[in-house]
Amino acid sequence: MNSRIGELTFIEQLAQRYKLPVPEYLAEPVSQSKLREKIEQWDAGIVKPDVLSGKRGKAGAVHKVDNVRDALRVLRETAATEINGLQPRGAYIVQYVPADYEIFTAIGYNSHTLSPAFTVSLKGGVDVEAIGDKDKVVVPLNVFQGLNAYQASEALSTLGLKGKLNSKLSIVFVNLWDMFISSGMLNCEVNPWRVTKDGQMFACDFKATFDENNFKTKDLGLVWPEYPTQETTFETEMNAWAASSHQGQAHVSSLGGKKILPMLFGGGASTIVTETLTQLGGDPIFLSDFGGNPPYERMKGTATLCFEHYLHSSSLLLILGGKANNTLIDVTFSAIADALQEYVDAKGPVNIPVVVGRGGAHLVQGFVALKKTLDNLRMPHVFFGPDTPITLVAEYAAALAKQLEKAGQGGRT
Amino acid sequence: MNATTLASLLKKGDRVAVSNITGREAMNVSVISQQFCNNVIVGWALGKDGDVIAVPGGRDIRVFGQFEELMKALPPTERPNKVIVYSPPDAVYGDVKEVIENGEGTVETIFVITEHVSVEVTAKLKRLCDLAHMDIVGCNTLGMINAHDRVRVGAVGGDSPRESFLPGSATILSNSGNMVNTIAAYLQSAGLGVAYGISTGKDPLILTPLKEFLALADKDKRTKIVVLYVEPGGTYERDAIEFMRQRKFAKPLIVYIAGAFAEGRNISLGHAGAVVDGACTSASDKMRLFDEYLGIPPFDPTDEKAARKNIARTRRGIRVATLHAFVPAAMALMDALKIKQDFKPERPLALNPWIVELGTLARKLPKTLALEPGTIPSPYNELLARQLKGDLGRVVTPQPMRNASHASSNDGATPRVYGYSLLNLMTQGSFGHSVLLSWLGVPPTHAFETTLFEMCLIASITNGPGTISAQGAKLSASAGNEPNTAMMTTLGSIGSVHGGNGKAAAHFLLKIFLDSGLTDPYDRQKAPDLDALVQKYVASYKKRKLAAKDAGIEIEKVPCLGHPVFNQETVNYDPRERAISRYLDDHKLYNVFLDFYHRLTRGMMSQGVTSKVHAVNLDAAIACVCMGMAWPLLVDKKIGIERAADLPFLTFALGRVAGGASEYLDHRESGTDMDMRAPVSECKALTRAKD
Repeated sequence: MNSRIGELTFIEQLAQRYKLPVPEYLAEPVSQSKLREKIEQWDAGIVKPDVLSGKRGKAGAVHKVDNVRDALRVLRETAATEINGLQPRGAYIVQYVPADYEIFTAIGYNSHTLSPAFTVSLKGGVDVEAIGDKDKVVVPLNVFQGLNAYQASEALSTLGLKGKLNSKLSIVFVNLWDMFISSGMLNCEVNPWRVTKDGQMFACDFKATFDENNFKTKDLGLVWPEYPTQETTFETEMNAWAASSHQGQAHVSSLGGKKILPMLFGGGASTIVTETLTQLGGDPIFLSDFGGNPPYERMKGTATLCFEHYLHSSSLLLILGGKANNTLIDVTFSAIADALQEYVDAKGPVNIPVVVGRGGAHLVQGFVALKKTLDNLRMPHVFFGPDTPITLVAEYAAALAKQLEKAGQGGRT
Repeated sequence: MNATTLASLLKKGDRVAVSNITGREAMNVSVISQQFCNNVIVGWALGKDGDVIAVPGGRDIRVFGQFEELMKALPPTERPNKVIVYSPPDAVYGDVKEVIENGEGTVETIFVITEHVSVEVTAKLKRLCDLAHMDIVGCNTLGMINAHDRVRVGAVGGDSPRESFLPGSATILSNSGNMVNTIAAYLQSAGLGVAYGISTGKDPLILTPLKEFLALADKDKRTKIVVLYVEPGGTYERDAIEFMRQRKFAKPLIVYIAGAFAEGRNISLGHAGAVVDGACTSASDKMRLFDEYLGIPPFDPTDEKAARKNIARTRRGIRVATLHAFVPAAMALMDALKIKQDFKPERPLALNPWIVELGTLARKLPKTLALEPGTIPSPYNELLARQLKGDLGRVVTPQPMRNASHASSNDGATPRVYGYSLLNLMTQGSFGHSVLLSWLGVPPTHAFETTLFEMCLIASITNGPGTISAQGAKLSASAGNEPNTAMMTTLGSIGSVHGGNGKAAAHFLLKIFLDSGLTDPYDRQKAPDLDALVQKYVASYKKRKLAAKDAGIEIEKVPCLGHPVFNQETVNYDPRERAISRYLDDHKLYNVFLDFYHRLTRGMMSQGVTSKVHAVNLDAAIACVCMGMAWPLLVDKKIGIERAADLPFLTFALGRVAGGASEYLDHRESGTDMDMRAPVSECKALTRAKD
């Protein structure tokens, strides 16, 4: 899972390291006296929730305050208010920066140029991608050389920013690149930089995503903020399990469904099967991708987690993938069969139907191993080979699950 | 892009090198590729210099320690022009850099199969390859296949690339590796084969973007239709459509865009790059862009006539909303654009259940859901029938067991054998009981089984000092060896000819009784018709014996019938077998296998196959005793066939190694050192001196 951070972590841990100017701030717990002192010094402050709010930003949740009483109240309220369904970690207050200019910047990887790219605009308030082409300058970067002051200056000139400010900002933008590339970020946005009348500039909002596959991120030494998430316990456990090895996929995303427990194989297959199940009322519990040729122990652990969380509450078990290129079907199916047997041994019988569709290496051995267990557990089953399209199998599974619900057979025994 | 045609990305005659080839996945895939097309000429893996990967039915693959070394070692005409990277994520940058530094002017294309490569490294690989004028596909590609040339790189096509990729006129470009395979299988139902199947990868940066593949497909004479599987994320499709408009792209498309269901939900799809990250990157944006380009509504399976009319009008192709609509859409497109089928499709695309076991649930379901088993295509039908019918024994799936064991455990306090406390076994059981537990995985079911097993062990101890195994022990003692070496010499002197024929007997019995319906080998009443089994076998043996005689070759012997010592009478017996038979009779016990053997040896004489009744020898008796214990476990799938077959030989070896020890002790104590050397004058040279 790629880690994300917001402004507070940036101000607290990164800005100084990379010489990026930020406003003064206070984060909870804040003493009343300290708050009073700072607001008097700043004239006003901006109270913000510490939340990863996604695309729509924190608009509506950001408040300007100019006295300690309001500040305390707003800090309390902000910390307790959900933003787009997300609970903030807390609230913090930053120095209010009166500005003559607002400048918006982003660095990320560009799928058009297949390189990093620096984007700068004088228009903001929305995500950088949403700014029209004529209102922004995109500078593709050589990943080995990065952004230099000349490139940054050129971009600012194109937008009409010249003179001393151009030069000062260019240096800061080079520092921004240094932070981006040396910390393994996938993208970062300062939205906006506020520039005061006397030419001082401050990064006044920030968000970044780090590449979990980049060793620099792992070696960064950040204290990663733990944001309250909407992850289910199942997702949390599966994410931890997925992170424990890179052999084979163990990816899930909860969908909140109630009927079909889908164990799917392959990134493409998982997408289109879940799409089909969703469209046809199969009500899948989660989206899964367990492909990538998982070894036996990996697959068994994955299956065990799925069964422990959902087998007794689902109405149909779907084990489905396309014609595997790498994954050994006997290994994966034996692991699923063994996990199923152990689950039933421990928790008691389950009488839901099992629909299976697969192709690939050692298919017959895999089918036989799984069938023997299903026979042994007296679980009704239908197996399809690679000659039946996976989307047709998904259609059948969705129809069967709907029929069972109609007949009042939820699957439990 | 440096490639000028799709074929220049991959064609017959390309020489492929594989990084990290000794890794689990790389090795498996390379061996299958080699069997399919023999294009892997070499591999490299750090510290594995000098290894050779054996390829049954193909050319073995030589392994070097580094890419630089292999380039130096190979003559210029044999150096690789294609490279597949299977290195771990953190090693990808270094390995690709090494390829670039040492492969300039030779290596044309690098396929990076590795998943979880950082985006920064991915961007760096692109930059390096551009500077070196090399093409790079990936990362996280599955590879590609050229179906006409019957060559592939990577794992496209799995273990049977011939099956899905019949040569034809569709080129598949897919964000999902698995979908290349799956779509190819679907298209067969439309009579459409494949020219090229390419997995582009679906990491955040796709290093060879769609528009570049399309540019090559447009020029490719074999490609008449381009099939696209697209996921959310990236602006590759927007760029591709812009390119197709500018270049007046001439090939019709069939497009499927997945992932629209995820929009508005906080979920992540399977591929790392399938992330909506701006304008034109969501599934619905991509659908809109393609619909605008194609200029017609998406394919409606209920109105194929309209689809044909629309396709004929715009000639740009059609988008499908579900994956299985590829087939009717492809047929409509071929019909509208007068593109001939590549072959006659064998079967329509429909539900074809291979195994249906719905039990009582079937009665509660409407007919459309209570499916009947369909037709299983070859070769799966034979394989599945054999596996399901030949239902004896556990299907064993290998797993890493370096530090794991079912047979033994030790929690620091109690050593256990298959979960049973060794301490309890020491005080409550016998040696025979514990050995059987450790070999069968469960304790013997009947007390008499332990007795019979111990009788077999005792019978195996010796057959006199002249046996090969006794001589082995004596020779070892004479050479001054330690006891363990003498015991190993005893074991080394037995084999399938001497003492180990019980394994062949076990396989023989398994074959004879496989379809007999036998469940309890100790129940005389439920035994199958043994005379019929004997008659059938002897008749077949006689026929084979005559044919072998005509051909002047020797026929295989029935395992464990006859003995060189007990062979002088018209009706012969091995006294050790008799002891076991007598024990059974005395205790009113029955063993169906031993009964079968006795009937068989008589049957062979009565039908003129042999001139005397050969002795059922000790190996046969041991095999019968072991199969008696193993058969119920095989029926219950608690043990595998091979384990059952190994039991008789193990029994003999365990008994005989004790006998070998006794010969060693005796000889060391009382014997003179034997000198088995032959005088030079008695040795004959069969080769002339050559220098």
